Amino acid sequence: MKSILVPRARFLMLLAAGALTGCSSIADALTDNAAFRRLLIAPERLDLAILGSGEPLAREYSESEISPDFRQNGFDPPSSPEYQTWARDDWRGYRLQIGGLVRVPRSFSLLELRSRFLSLSQITRHDCVEGWSVIGKWTGPRVADVIAACGPLPQAKYVVFHCMDVDQNGTPYYESLDIRQAAHPQALLAYGLNDRPVPVKNGAPLRLKVPTQLGYKSAKYVSRIELVASLGGKNGNGGYWEDQGYEWYAGI
Amino acid sequence: MRPKGASRRMHGEMKRSVYRHPLAVRITHWVVFLSIVVLAMSGMQIFNAHPALYASDASVFRRPVLAINAALDPRTGQPVGYVQIGEHRIVTTHVLGYASDGLGGEAPRAFPGWATIPGYQDLADGRRWHFLFAWIFGLCAIVYAGWAFQLLPKASDLKAIPATLKQHLVPWRVPAHASYNPLQKITYFGLVFVVAPLVILTGLALSPAVDAHAHWLPALFGGRQFARIWHFAAMLAFIAFFIAHVAMVALTGFWNNLRSMITGWFDVEGRT
Repeated sequence: MKSILVPRARFLMLLAAGALTGCSSIADALTDNAAFRRLLIAPERLDLAILGSGEPLAREYSESEISPDFRQNGFDPPSSPEYQTWARDDWRGYRLQIGGLVRVPRSFSLLELRSRFLSLSQITRHDCVEGWSVIGKWTGPRVADVIAACGPLPQAKYVVFHCMDVDQNGTPYYESLDIRQAAHPQALLAYGLNDRPVPVKNGAPLRLKVPTQLGYKSAKYVSRIELVASLGGKNGNGGYWEDQGYEWYAGI
Repeated sequence: MRPKGASRRMHGEMKRSVYRHPLAVRITHWVVFLSIVVLAMSGMQIFNAHPALYASDASVFRRPVLAINAALDPRTGQPVGYVQIGEHRIVTTHVLGYASDGLGGEAPRAFPGWATIPGYQDLADGRRWHFLFAWIFGLCAIVYAGWAFQLLPKASDLKAIPATLKQHLVPWRVPAHASYNPLQKITYFGLVFVVAPLVILTGLALSPAVDAHAHWLPALFGGRQFARIWHFAAMLAFIAFFIAHVAMVALTGFWNNLRSMITGWFDVEGRT
């Protein structure tokens, strides 16, 4: 019995090392397999059905818990001359456009967003898909209030947020929420971070803030909001990262 | 555990076989095994996206409890991989921190390509794998828990620990009894009723949507980032168990043990 232990242990160790590398290779092949992909993305619907139900509020924190620095992530700030000019000029030229399936397409300057809508503040935790978290205080009107001012049509089911930042290939960032998520009381169009205007690195002049989902849903540099009947087709998978394979429902 | 089934005479020797594991347990055992492998490997892929752990709710970037990173050696200009625990750094180049990129080269990566799913850096698909198998693992864990409840160690098991530990000093001499020995009971019971719930709850605590539904859950573990430490520690516990488990299976009659988890039948030595 004892004599065969050593070769057996070595055999098992080799088997383990090989198995691990094998697992990785098999998994890589499966990841690229169309049928298996459908299985891989299947749980998202289940997660949305369970976690997306109800209207629970993200936890709110006290001022003393605010992180010293709100970490920047994602693309570089927009480099367009237009954006640069607005930034130098205290965003006076900037207007948020709202269109698509609405009765009255409108646009609002930052001043109008501040004066015409109820301004709310929330101190919430921002959870990045990468794994880190920071706490910040966001101020601005509710997405719901701004959309309501334009009279959304009954067939509008999704709200798409078009952004001014682009990746290395020039593809712009965008995100989307369904009408229900957009109506969440904590879904804000934030012009303030930690009692100051949103800094350029964090999405100036206006950023979506959705604290019940991962950070990539909270699109920065929002310039245009479009109400649509469905995602897919020309509307992509509903977001820049969604088009790279990330979940549209980013509650996990 | 009280094995069912009739004894049978093997090869005319005084050996007895018992039906040790019912079908549902045998199936879920292997599905759970597969799930743990996939969850650990895809979890390492996810960890690689931000390879640092913090003992707080939000991240305190300057003070990670554990970080696995790469840096340039100022003398040689060569990249160095390291594991940082508190203030201490352990050089781990080519294994952790700076390691296989899963595409034939090396890159700054906490866990190497051969240990992650997918092998190359891909957070999106790593998450998809992780969440699919989290469901499979969770559902199997429930089936498993229903059966493993009978492993709850009794007072007599606890009393027998010293004697059983002594037996394990010579692992290949640990006798094959019909029922699990006290150490097995405690280990399996702890795994099913402590480590598995811990890994599931701490995983859920990382979700912002779960947090919105149940603020108490991340708070229970010291906050979201702290829950990530527990989640990581539970993964290490599974790996430690896996190594010990496979070693004991191999040392105490490999084929007999393996058969008992495939056909259910386990050969018993002498009296039970």
